[in-house]
Amino acid sequence: MLDDIQNLRNIGISAHIDSGKTTLTERILYYTERIFAIHEVKGKDGVGATMDSMELERERGITISSAATYCEWKGHKINIIDTPGHVDFTIEVERALRVLDSSILVICAVGGVQSQTITVDRQMNRYKVPRIAFINKCDRAGADPYRAVRQLRQKLQHNTILMQLPIGLEGDFSGVIDLVSMKAVYFEGPFGEDLKEGEIPPWLLDEALAKREEMLDAASMFSDELMEAILDGSVREELIHQAVRRGTISRGLTPVFIGSAYKNIGVQPVLDAVTNYLPSPAEVKNSALDIDQGEKEVLLSSDPRDPLVALAFKLEITPYGQLTYLRIYQGSISKGDYLVNTRDRKRIKVGRLIRMHADEIEDISRAEAGDIVALFGVNCVSGDTFTDGRLNYTMISIFVPEPVISLSISSNDNKSEVNMAKALNRFTREDPTFRSRVDEESGQTIISGMGELHLEIYVERMKREFGAEVSTGVPQVAYRETISQRAEFNYTHKKQTGGAGQYGQVAGFIEPLEDGNYEFINEVRGGVIPSEFIPAVDKGFQSCLRRGLLIGFPVRGMRVTVNDGQYHAVDSSERAFVQAAIGAFKQAYLKAKPAILEPIMRVTVECPSEFQGNVMSSINQRRGLIMSAAEDGVFTTVEAEVPLEEMFGYATTLRSLTQGKGEFTMEFSRYARVPESLEEDLKVRYKERQKRGEV
Amino acid sequence: MKDFSEVSPLRILESSAYKGLGKGNLGVLIARAGGGKTSCLIHIAFDELFRGENVVHVSLKDAPEKVASYYSVIFSDLVKVLDIENESEVRARLDKRRIILAYLRQSFDLTRLRESLTNLVREADFIPGTLIVDGIDFGETGRDVFEGFKEIAKEFDLEAWFSALSHRHIAEVNERGIPFPCNKVDDLFSLIFQLYATQSGIFFRFLKDHDSELIPDAVVRLDPNNFLVVE
Repeated sequence: MLDDIQNLRNIGISAHIDSGKTTLTERILYYTERIFAIHEVKGKDGVGATMDSMELERERGITISSAATYCEWKGHKINIIDTPGHVDFTIEVERALRVLDSSILVICAVGGVQSQTITVDRQMNRYKVPRIAFINKCDRAGADPYRAVRQLRQKLQHNTILMQLPIGLEGDFSGVIDLVSMKAVYFEGPFGEDLKEGEIPPWLLDEALAKREEMLDAASMFSDELMEAILDGSVREELIHQAVRRGTISRGLTPVFIGSAYKNIGVQPVLDAVTNYLPSPAEVKNSALDIDQGEKEVLLSSDPRDPLVALAFKLEITPYGQLTYLRIYQGSISKGDYLVNTRDRKRIKVGRLIRMHADEIEDISRAEAGDIVALFGVNCVSGDTFTDGRLNYTMISIFVPEPVISLSISSNDNKSEVNMAKALNRFTREDPTFRSRVDEESGQTIISGMGELHLEIYVERMKREFGAEVSTGVPQVAYRETISQRAEFNYTHKKQTGGAGQYGQVAGFIEPLEDGNYEFINEVRGGVIPSEFIPAVDKGFQSCLRRGLLIGFPVRGMRVTVNDGQYHAVDSSERAFVQAAIGAFKQAYLKAKPAILEPIMRVTVECPSEFQGNVMSSINQRRGLIMSAAEDGVFTTVEAEVPLEEMFGYATTLRSLTQGKGEFTMEFSRYARVPESLEEDLKVRYKERQKRGEV
Repeated sequence: MKDFSEVSPLRILESSAYKGLGKGNLGVLIARAGGGKTSCLIHIAFDELFRGENVVHVSLKDAPEKVASYYSVIFSDLVKVLDIENESEVRARLDKRRIILAYLRQSFDLTRLRESLTNLVREADFIPGTLIVDGIDFGETGRDVFEGFKEIAKEFDLEAWFSALSHRHIAEVNERGIPFPCNKVDDLFSLIFQLYATQSGIFFRFLKDHDSELIPDAVVRLDPNNFLVVE
């Protein structure tokens, strides 16, 4: 059984938008005989690539939802997750990286390492994902794989080693030289399915020998055996593979492959590299938290005979019903088994166990540790852990960034209202960064997410998939409130209006908490507030966090310490203490120098160096803080921190500032205090809305 | 919080006639590979940052992320040594005063640097007081480049600090006692320091102090773990 896991690979394919990763996936599925025809992403046949399963994705030529798919190559089982390329959908990338063991980083030979590649690479570092790189589009005009390799080294600090050399470039690109076997490889047949090996073209021999030496030098750092073999001239291919594999898995090396997925060149060697150099699930350390031992971190075994631990990492609504994608970390699942959801301890029966191939389904009877499978009709949310009931483990929760932008949304008619509710219910289950709530005061439905495009896509999907005609308001930044100094409270809630009265007194202080969280500390001694009422005090304070008193946005970064109080034997109740806490919050909050915080985005702008001044100026005008500017040949990458409020419409501004040659990505960095002038402005606007009865 | 100047390698300037490098001037510290050049250079940057100066760090070898991580690690050391209480506030304040300019893949030239500095001043309202230049190969760089730096230092009214790598196998020293690789351009530098290790520790000493006579015992000893001054 454990032998099987050695031949399993869970890989992701990540890259900058338009680097051709969907085309690469499509070719992989073709060569592994999972599909029998090739469709292009923006194909003229109207079918679209197999991995872009949603209509909208096909239309826009971008991948939004990760579809998991399964294939086999030379005795190895490979699960592939096609990950989205646009930064607004990073939660999809983050979730994919959480369950994958390794990745193929696709880089465009023309565009090189672009801003999105940098963001995705940063995410991969966070999850310690080993990777190989595929320099795609070598057939395009301006293709320079060597520049892309240098950028991998310098911009991303990868210890790259070229495993291949291109034979010709741009229109002359015809094959690759394998530096391990020292053979030229050509891809013949209508779809490049016939690999023909030949001698290295004489004019490339010297370069191939030199590059092989470089490759051997780098690989030998990970294998004494290879180093000795180099010294005594007895290098075998197997030794090279072993050394490169060791280097790759330890993330000390990034082997680089070259090709053009569109022209059917170089894809099969990438599949060989996946099996040769990327780790099996058994070679990756995964841990869970044991709830019975105070959430102590425990290593998982990846042994199918051990008790089951699986993570639901993605929910997808299909025409057949809700599909839950699971990564099995330990143990096995068979059809008919019972699983226990760690979150609510509910038992579910495994009815159908399936493997997904984009939109198509394959029923299987059993799956083991390391595998990625899907279940039908399981009621859970993304991020839930499943066991067979013998363990009470939870997988460390997937890092979920906070939504930074919100939008009011309303349905245009009654039918749309029902459909909108259905759509919101589905989207919030599928995507933890997409949230929906009804504003208490205005009664408006507010949706929030990671960026303008993120919300736009969901609004589009509501219209197309659910037939909900909706209108949206202006995007709003997700401000927060916080306190900046300690303030005492001592509040008595007392009501005596006939019948049972209400009485509760709480005293203590609130103070700022730097990590942005909420903390409640009970220092009540001598039972002056009976212990059964303490949770009510906590609840009362927490209810106040939803709406601060400055501009009505949630409060973050506050510690509440309750150290005194009083109760009444007859009139005290949970409700009375909740009310007492609410009163105490109002009493202390304004004394604690409250302030307004705004989301600050980490913005990466890439443009030809001649536009550096324009870009710097545009960032400065947006209250941005330039952190660095890196020049690499003719391109400059400017990194800055800019308030989200100032970033609306930046795509258009940047285009006009750089003659359409600049592009940018951004991701949430932190919350920071808004400048005083803006704070006053926000307060005034809030008061006006209060007067108009809108809040 | 303690004062950074107490532990800064630039404390050595207490024994200098000028007490500092001075705007429009160039300074360099020479050390062997692994001798702590980058750490000391960043300490000089912190010295300026703590004084409220704006610093531009020019890197010719490392990407900005790596340079920023050097600063971050060194700042964490300083938090302990200086007993900094409001760490995130101080960090944010100093980060605002620092911009990294990286020139990767031999893309450095003085024209581009001058343009970037002009952009910072004009477009970003960032007036640099100090330039930290790390990664220049003194052995391979022509005199004209350092003359260009001197002009930039004057033009932008800033101090410019460099690091230079010396080699065990090159023992060249000029008649003024300045070793390779600074022996042919020492006239362009107002301050020259050497970082060297002996069995009793790591030391920082003057090789040139403007036009003054050197004080022979003007040496500070540095902690080998963090390259800060030890008593």
